[in-house]
Amino acid sequence: MHVLSLWHTLPRPLRIVVMRCLMIVPQMLGVTLVAFLLVRLLPGDPARLILGNFATADSIRLMRERLGLDQSLPVQAERYLVSVLHGDLGVSPFTSNPVIVDLAQRAPATLELIVYAMVLTFVFAVTMAVLSVVKPGGISDGLTRIYGLAAGAIPDFWVALLLVFFLFHTLGWVPAPFGRIDAMLTPPPTVTGFLTVDSLLAGDMADFRSASARLVLPVLTIAIVNAGALMKMAQISFRDAYRSEFVTQLRMSGVPERQIVRVALRNALPPIISQTAFITGFLLGAAVLVETVFAWGGLGQYAVQAVANSDYAAVQGFVLVASAFVLIVYSVADILYELADPRIRV
Amino acid sequence: MNARSLVLCLLTRPGAATGLILLLLQVVAILFASHIARFSPVDADPLSATLPPGGVHWFGTDELGMDVFSRVVFATRINLLISFAAVGASLAIGVPAGLLIGYYKGFLSTAVLRVFDFLQSFPIFVLGMALVAVLGQEIWSVVIALSLLFVPMFGRLVRAEVLSLRERPFVAAARCAGANDLEIMVAHILPNAITPVIVQVSVAIGMAILLTAGLSFIGAGVRMPSPEWGLMVSNGAQQMILGVWWISLFPGLAIVVSVLSFALLADAVRDLTDPRAQGGRRAGGP
Repeated sequence: MHVLSLWHTLPRPLRIVVMRCLMIVPQMLGVTLVAFLLVRLLPGDPARLILGNFATADSIRLMRERLGLDQSLPVQAERYLVSVLHGDLGVSPFTSNPVIVDLAQRAPATLELIVYAMVLTFVFAVTMAVLSVVKPGGISDGLTRIYGLAAGAIPDFWVALLLVFFLFHTLGWVPAPFGRIDAMLTPPPTVTGFLTVDSLLAGDMADFRSASARLVLPVLTIAIVNAGALMKMAQISFRDAYRSEFVTQLRMSGVPERQIVRVALRNALPPIISQTAFITGFLLGAAVLVETVFAWGGLGQYAVQAVANSDYAAVQGFVLVASAFVLIVYSVADILYELADPRIRV
Repeated sequence: MNARSLVLCLLTRPGAATGLILLLLQVVAILFASHIARFSPVDADPLSATLPPGGVHWFGTDELGMDVFSRVVFATRINLLISFAAVGASLAIGVPAGLLIGYYKGFLSTAVLRVFDFLQSFPIFVLGMALVAVLGQEIWSVVIALSLLFVPMFGRLVRAEVLSLRERPFVAAARCAGANDLEIMVAHILPNAITPVIVQVSVAIGMAILLTAGLSFIGAGVRMPSPEWGLMVSNGAQQMILGVWWISLFPGLAIVVSVLSFALLADAVRDLTDPRAQGGRRAGGP
């Protein structure tokens, strides 16, 4: 009772954040177990894959022992959990680095891409949605209808290639799609891992210009492909809010239209936030394709190589990181959702 | 609904009619591929490599001298075969599973639901990629990987429908009339839960086409020389930078047309069967 009353004296935002963070622990445990099961339960023997086709029965047995594959499944699962807790995801036989080092090196590239892409997607989708609802039957309404339908049908890797053709080859507006920064430049010293931020911190404008220019195509690709779904969702949610009684009340009271739109949007926000989170979680997978086109060198490209090389440790590591990422994104979204909707009790 | 009112419905809905026409286009491509295509989809002719679109090669040729038009037409077979097989398999598993875990409450139902949750918490594309990598690069591996992604989708959908139908009076009436659990599930609940499933089937086929193409694009799907749209886009990817646009453009367009046709049909089914959606649209119109 004492603890409970203390809990309720905490400010609401703090309670929301603490509750949500406590839930992450068991969820993360479950995700780790599934990442383990996914790779272990599938057919194929990792020992044989690592050693290749010409391995002798003896060396395979030794390798199985070294990898702990001769143990029972629960023992293996426990070992895997313990090693993951110690930050050990195994060693990739192809880069001969610990998987966690490989992943940590490449994560900033993917995160930078996703962050900028998500900001653009959100702004674009919500703007289109608001315009189409405020002026029904107008040009923006028609455009959004066509775009909403088409966006779900366009493959992202194909859009990426079309953008390369038009903006690089034909118009020459953007640099060639090879990596995150011009190979002739020395990248800025790593602080955040985001090249755009690091170059600004180092005061190197040439680096900054190159890094931003290289971001244009992949960010545009992701935004074009993913804004459609978010826009449709935002339209429905905003339309409901915009046509509700309180908006009529506001209008009768002579509140200016700009302010009405702002208030309605504020009320329409919760479902838009969940949808944004859903898309962001999905983006890490989509980034695999976009990164391949632009030789981005992030997590997605690493995963593609790992799959091509049957590099179990790396695939498992990527699956784990990807699911952890999704989990964190969803948790942040839940927190924002609860903050945005004051009716939810915590 | 009889045939005449269906035709009338289609005529008054341009979206549905477009979807149907695009679907027919694909059916024609599948049935008459060898008559429509003027070249073999797998034979390379190095002498006519990388030709731009023209009178002989309507969509041009690729690096190896294969006719892009013929390959786009023939690829319809592989792409739709994979998608239909995957969606069919996941229907066969997902719908009964959803019925059972919706109808019976208990430890097992909760466990199955948790498995679905976990399968869905993974990034869909990454899961497919890992599965194909481990199962081997065969068409059937792609089908299995896609099915694993779709089974939870159908399972959860049917379960949600069953939960809302289970306590309805007509189910109680059937039980009073002496129907057993199986009869109630199959004859009484399933027919009432089927509409959202049909809509979802159409959506899932579109998703399957996109995922298959994506898997092939990164080299974790169908392999050369099989004609497959995603694989063809990836063949032209390097050339795109040099301004050779036709190798990637046309198979990509085929993907868009195919996915769009199923999306339009899904919308049409939803509109036809859900009176609320119609009312909503009318009220929302100008």
